[in-house]
Amino acid sequence: MKILATIYKEFLLLIRDPGGMALIFIMPLALVVVMALVQDAPFRDYQEVKLDVLMVDQDGDSLSAKVKEAFKDSPNVNLVMEGDSVTAKRLVRSGKYKAAIIIPPQSSKTLRRKTRQLITTVFSNFGLPADRSDSAVLPAIELKIIFDPAIKKNYQQSLSGSIEKIIANVQTHWVLDELQNQLSEGNEDVKKTDFDLSQIVNVNQGFASEKYQGFILNSVQHNVPAWTMFAMFFILYPLAGNLIKEREEGSMLRLRLISGSQVPVITGKFAFYFMVCLIQFLMMIAVGIFIMPLLGLNKLMLGGSSLLILLTACSVAMAATGYGVLIAVYFRTAQQALSFGSVSVVILSAIGGVWVPVYVMPEVLQTISGFSPMSWGLESFNDLFLRQASLVKIMPNILKLVGFSLVTLGASVFIHKARTVV
Amino acid sequence: MSTRVVHLEHLTKQYIQSSKPAVTSLTLEIPEGSVFGLLGPNGAGKSTTVMILCGLMRPDAGAVSVMGEDMLQKGALLRKKIGVAPQEIALFPSLTAYENLFYFGRMYGLPSELIRSQIEKYLHVFGLSEKAKKHVHTFSGGMKRRLNLIAALLHQPKLVILDEPTAGVDVQSRNLILDFLVDLKTQGTTIIYSSHVLEEAERICSHLSILDEGRLITTGTRASVMDAHPECRNLEQIFLKLTGKNIRD
Repeated sequence: MKILATIYKEFLLLIRDPGGMALIFIMPLALVVVMALVQDAPFRDYQEVKLDVLMVDQDGDSLSAKVKEAFKDSPNVNLVMEGDSVTAKRLVRSGKYKAAIIIPPQSSKTLRRKTRQLITTVFSNFGLPADRSDSAVLPAIELKIIFDPAIKKNYQQSLSGSIEKIIANVQTHWVLDELQNQLSEGNEDVKKTDFDLSQIVNVNQGFASEKYQGFILNSVQHNVPAWTMFAMFFILYPLAGNLIKEREEGSMLRLRLISGSQVPVITGKFAFYFMVCLIQFLMMIAVGIFIMPLLGLNKLMLGGSSLLILLTACSVAMAATGYGVLIAVYFRTAQQALSFGSVSVVILSAIGGVWVPVYVMPEVLQTISGFSPMSWGLESFNDLFLRQASLVKIMPNILKLVGFSLVTLGASVFIHKARTVV
Repeated sequence: MSTRVVHLEHLTKQYIQSSKPAVTSLTLEIPEGSVFGLLGPNGAGKSTTVMILCGLMRPDAGAVSVMGEDMLQKGALLRKKIGVAPQEIALFPSLTAYENLFYFGRMYGLPSELIRSQIEKYLHVFGLSEKAKKHVHTFSGGMKRRLNLIAALLHQPKLVILDEPTAGVDVQSRNLILDFLVDLKTQGTTIIYSSHVLEEAERICSHLSILDEGRLITTGTRASVMDAHPECRNLEQIFLKLTGKNIRD
């Protein structure tokens, strides 16, 4: 009954604190929506973003035609023709376009001649008849791709890769054509074949996820669990504020005078804020499922078992509440506790992979990340949402979170006793 | 012959940061059914004595017996029989008067019906019935002080410890509180009354003791203390005579 009374008392205190309510429920929802929107573009890889790319066609022949054709139906590149390379450079430099492809004059002719020379050399080496009249040393074709300095590295690599692939494809076709030409020299009856090279090797891509094929980490999938944990750890703000206020105002003294044991009071507080954390979690998940799609973002997919997701949420809630209690007990003033608490949560979230995924961090930070409870929670959620992990897989992180909670609570009790029993 | 509710024997306590003891070899007996004034200037050791009596602080030496039980051994059990109204307004400002009292009643482990009847009774006695549903942060200093006192009485304690129960209240509220304490004494409750207001102590205390610099200066019934200093017209003069006129920090 004492625990229930404390839970009810905490409930009354919270609902009468509009600032605390906003901090616990409204701010996290706003934060997760804003962060998911802000990080949507960076999270979309090259496959999902359509770039406007200038093309300066000084060749006007089959090579440039092949490039245009290759990008015609591309979901990622929208070619915009530009006549002048100087203007193209200026437009890219100004940031209006992300890149410009400049195909120099005579590119097709030079490539054809180089291909012919190559085949001729091969034929000669094998003692086959070959026309060796064109033995001029031709310079390499200087095809240029100019990038906006602000372009993301992966976009740059993807565009370069695509161009190189197109050129290589054209070159291969022309090598085969030239081979057929020289082999059929003088034989009008031989019919040349147009080879479809794409059918030789099929590269099938997939994900190591049984339930959701093609389901990857996107902005919503990262931000919803990440900022949910941030919000849950921010429970320390109302929790520590409330505890220190009670200490300063004297109501905690009365509770110490009333009860022989502080266990019901602490348990009641812990249980209440634990439940608040779970409500936060459910609200944030609901936002991910129902609100994000309305904003044009992906829907949050809960790949794993609901029971395991709840277990992880409970573990994170325990860790967050334990940390809040420790901060409240350790610091003597609300100002100290709230300042330290807020900054520490921001740091723990940053190294825990809340702001950006851990795998994009430098190696040192990735190692440090392993010490953040938020990293344990986020890893578990990713394991469940993306990889449909089993209990065995998430258990180490669950144990770490529960252990963290027990250690922080144990330390709180120790500090509290050391300071109150004088 | 009255039995003693509290017996302190050679109580000594020195704080870690302090160069001298807060309480030195304090021996004191508080009879059952008395209003016992615990008086002294600032730094006399009153608060330390009260803290030890409530079981919130351990003495360096000495024994504390409350209702025949050792406080150092059975503090948790004994605290349920003691009502303490600390000098601070130990209430939740954003809860109503009723919610505060109901919560404290629950924490005393009282059943709902008893809590309700006790709240009703004491709110009526202290003139707060109409304010039961008002949030405490809207209360005046006097109303808060009365509510603070009620919170210490809900569980019908045999021993009530009051630390400056009339601090910051108006004359009417003070009068009401003092009258109530006298009435409470007649019902057999022992009251330890720590205060700087000697006029109040003289009015309601049946017994008193004066501490100074952690030592007991005098103790006994009010009449015996007054009789021992016939040249003094009131308790304040006795107090100044025994503790001196130097300002204490």
